[in-house]
Amino acid sequence: MMAGLRVAALVEALTLVALLVNLATVHWRPVTTLGGPLHGTAYLAVIAVVLLLPGAPRAAKLRALVPGVGGWLALRAL
Amino acid sequence: MTAVLLAVHVLGGIVFVGPVTVAASLFPRYAGEGSVGVVDALHRISRVYAVLGLAVPVFGIATGAQLGVLGDAWLLVSMALTLVAALLLGLVILPAQARVVTGLHERGAAAVPASLGMTTGVFALIWAVVVVLMIVRPGSTTGVGA
Repeated sequence: MMAGLRVAALVEALTLVALLVNLATVHWRPVTTLGGPLHGTAYLAVIAVVLLLPGAPRAAKLRALVPGVGGWLALRAL
Repeated sequence: MTAVLLAVHVLGGIVFVGPVTVAASLFPRYAGEGSVGVVDALHRISRVYAVLGLAVPVFGIATGAQLGVLGDAWLLVSMALTLVAALLLGLVILPAQARVVTGLHERGAAAVPASLGMTTGVFALIWAVVVVLMIVRPGSTTGVGA
């Protein structure tokens, strides 16, 4: 589950960066269409994995909810 | 682009949600027999694929938004049913499985609640209803039931 959390945290952060860079620059439609759901999935996956981890501290669970960097914050709190 | 979103949505439903439904249904039987290895594997499949399965509603909502059908009754009912199934899995099925797995490892035996089999049955039934709604789309001009 921890390896999965690392992947989800990375995807969560990278897709958000990609979406914001795209928003500020070229507005290429496919990036928004695919990046949005991908980011949403990673965001939810981070929260689900942290909630499913046995004995995860409350601090980690709350930090997982933070958009964009929640996975990274939760990893540090575990 | 809508085709890609829909393809991911359908593929995710088959590859991620399918295994969760099967593993959750088989879990009570093997837990009753006390097969620790099988029970561990089934619990792991249920947990890991449940997380991966989160992609299905997310890509589904994105597809619905692209098609402009998010307000359609068949889709609203499907989303509500999906939420019920997700809550059943996250709040009832997975915690019950975890308790059984812990019991099997620590004491070599665990009481499998009779309600677990029923709950996984309801979970599978919800997916059957959602799939029918997705195909027939009552009230829509794009369903195959029209």
